[in-house]
Amino acid sequence: MPFPRTTTAALYTIGTTGVIDRFTNENLAGKLLDIGVRPGSRLSIIRKSPFGSCWYVKIDRHCLALRKQELACILIK
Amino acid sequence: MHSNQVTAPARTAVVGLVGNPNSGKSSLFNLLTGLRQRIGNFPGVTVEKKSGKLKLAEIRTPVGTMDGEIAEDVRGVREVEIIDFPGAYSCYPTSLDERLVVQELTNPAGDLYPDAIVYVADVTKLDKHLLLFTQLRDLDLPMVLVLNMADLIEETGLKVDVERLSSRLRVPVVPVSARQGTGVDELKEVIADLLRNPEAYRPEEPFYEPGTRARDVLSELRRVLPARNNYHALLLAHHASWLKHIPEKTRHLVQESRVKHGFHSLRAQVEETMERYDTFEPIVRDTVRRGTNQSSLTDKVDNVLTHQIFGPLIFVVIMVFLFQALFAWSAWPMDGIEWIFESLGTGVRAILGPGWLTDLLVDGVIAGLGGVLVFIPQIAILFFFIALLEEVGYLARAAYMFDSIMQRFGLNGRSVVALISGHACAIPAIMSTRTIANWKERLLTILVTPLTSCSARIPVYVILISFAVPDVSWGPFGAQGLAFTGLYFLGITAAMLSALAFKLVLKSPERSFLMLELPEYRSPVWRNVGVTVWQKVKTFIVEAGKIILLISVVLWGLSTYGPPGAMDAARTQVQSQVETQGLDDDQAADLLASEQLEASFAGHIGKAIEPAIRPLGYDWKIGIALFSSFAAREVFVGTMAIIYSIGSTDDELRIQDRMAEEINPRTGEPVYNQATAWSLLVFYVFAMMCMATTAVTKRETGGWKWPIIQFTFMTVLAYVSAMVVYQVLS
Ligand SMILES: Nc1nc2c(ncn2[C@@H]2O[C@H](COP(=O)(O)OP(=O)(O)OP(=O)(O)O)[C@@H](O)[C@H]2O)c(=O)[nH]1
Ligand SMILES: [Mg+2]
Repeated sequence: MPFPRTTTAALYTIGTTGVIDRFTNENLAGKLLDIGVRPGSRLSIIRKSPFGSCWYVKIDRHCLALRKQELACILIK
Repeated sequence: MHSNQVTAPARTAVVGLVGNPNSGKSSLFNLLTGLRQRIGNFPGVTVEKKSGKLKLAEIRTPVGTMDGEIAEDVRGVREVEIIDFPGAYSCYPTSLDERLVVQELTNPAGDLYPDAIVYVADVTKLDKHLLLFTQLRDLDLPMVLVLNMADLIEETGLKVDVERLSSRLRVPVVPVSARQGTGVDELKEVIADLLRNPEAYRPEEPFYEPGTRARDVLSELRRVLPARNNYHALLLAHHASWLKHIPEKTRHLVQESRVKHGFHSLRAQVEETMERYDTFEPIVRDTVRRGTNQSSLTDKVDNVLTHQIFGPLIFVVIMVFLFQALFAWSAWPMDGIEWIFESLGTGVRAILGPGWLTDLLVDGVIAGLGGVLVFIPQIAILFFFIALLEEVGYLARAAYMFDSIMQRFGLNGRSVVALISGHACAIPAIMSTRTIANWKERLLTILVTPLTSCSARIPVYVILISFAVPDVSWGPFGAQGLAFTGLYFLGITAAMLSALAFKLVLKSPERSFLMLELPEYRSPVWRNVGVTVWQKVKTFIVEAGKIILLISVVLWGLSTYGPPGAMDAARTQVQSQVETQGLDDDQAADLLASEQLEASFAGHIGKAIEPAIRPLGYDWKIGIALFSSFAAREVFVGTMAIIYSIGSTDDELRIQDRMAEEINPRTGEPVYNQATAWSLLVFYVFAMMCMATTAVTKRETGGWKWPIIQFTFMTVLAYVSAMVVYQVLS
């Protein structure tokens, strides 16, 4: 079993899935936690927005739209 | 001793509907109150407040008392006030909307502090929606947990153990379907009981205990903070800087204490939230069993509707359809309304006979009212569509798709909602911006939204386009129809470009967010759509109606009376002219009317501003219309009616025909030529002509600065563009 590595979700491409490890930015962490995104949640990238810079993601079963910078502060293992 | 003595409550009990966004609070509110709701404003802030009355049956069940007597079963009705709070995710607010919830729920002395809370949670999302629940519970408020969308429980194969949930959370739990109306009677009973003996519903122990650092701060501050318990004090310590009920002195103390004990607000918030999830997650796991994957339909639909290429195309198609339908469907009801008011005017004139009262009633009041009410079909249809798109869940998708573009113009994806609603009316559109957390993005949206062509501009466009564009068509495309569409595009383009200009001028270090929930697609609750449409139409009639009625009467007065002597002078002059030129009765009446208008107060005002508007191609009569339009642009048509029909015998002639006959005395050409008509059109697209919108901008931005900037910017833009258009075309 490979040693678990964390990468930022922004490096993910469409279709990939991972489990959220932690957040790198406290400010965004507070907001993400509030809307139900938390360590242990399963995140999958569904698609990119029509004019770029936003992502349609699924956290557990719920759909969410996140900007690239917002995705960048989520670390995935 | 009987327990049924009636103690009159000091005030009507307040019940607050609180919960996460999209949990169905408003749906439940509509169901409970029907049309018995009032829209007001939360005190001191700007957010729309919805409150309504709810009648609760006050049934006292027989209780065996100590002395063996049975207390009588007393039935009565108790009325409580129910408030629909905006949606909030937690007690750590990001947007204005959420702040308001925290503000009111942490202020026990406030008018809106609820005696009981109906916490509305989406039963399919309990794992997220209980966060705020546990926070409010720790504030020691009597609560009932509503599991809304109970109709989805079976549909999605969900299994919920309501009793177990209730005993673990230690609050009453009621499954409700705001869509189907089930569970409401039980809910009402629980609310009545909650209000009757709140003590029985107080929490025994909190869900969360503040951490060490926070405890140090709290023990120091408990004496100065007006707090009910530890968690209340903690929230006050977090938010003292912006909570309105915290005095300045206390704010300083809080700040000092926070620094002294190294209390880091953000870190404490994250810790608290994580701990809360750890507390309630096991409860949810224990009581709710998930069935089939419920959102597979949403996934399929979103594959198409939010597709990278098809998504925006479908959006455009929906918008085109929306505006097509708007005009197609509203045509005949509008004709009907017009016809009713015309007949009413003729009828009143026939019954009352000529006289100043008849003129006031027919030319002022009836014409003015008709001018307002004729918009109702369009406003209703537009809001019908917007409410529908919102109910179904599409507007959130539009915000997601266009966020990137909007960012480039300094706006937010959520601005899309305001920019679409602005085509109906700028006022609710500006109100809708309060979900935008970033102040600069919100401000820009507020500033540019009035540039979109609201429905009050439609009749102005209709009248003027017939002078600006010949009535020709190529196949299915009429030139006038295309010009109409062009004006809409002009408005939205101007809005976007202005946003860009403001973006470059204004600096803001604040971070901006999207972080938007995309709710499952749901078939709409028609009651919600109906209530929204009804409310918007009602507000429009009352607000616009008041202004227009007032303006029509004032304008009628100004154009009927003049400075002492001036009117008489006009009359004698016309008399002599009639004699010398041998005019017949009709011609004489027309001449008298126009001379008197010129001599009236309105005429003087028009003449006074004529030099300023001559470069735009307008004469003093248009000046009068322009001047009165600054109160509300929809009075343009009514003003035209008054200006061109006063005293004249041919009032059955339509305004448009009357305008076509208008000749410029200096050039001998028609006044409403192509250049003037286009210039006027452009002026009305850009100009800020709505006092109600200015008032809303002032309220929403908290001062006179931005409404003044908005007004000046738009008016200068209108003036310059109209002048350029006129000079180029003439
Ligand atoms: N199936 C189902 N859908 C519901 C029910 N109640 C509300 N909805 C839907 O849920 C969505 C949100 O309802 P709202 O009443 O606007 O939610 P809200 O809590 O007022 O939302 P905010 O004001 O944004 O906080 C709407 O699309 C409703 O049609 C219900 O009982 N069953
Ligand atoms: Mg609502």
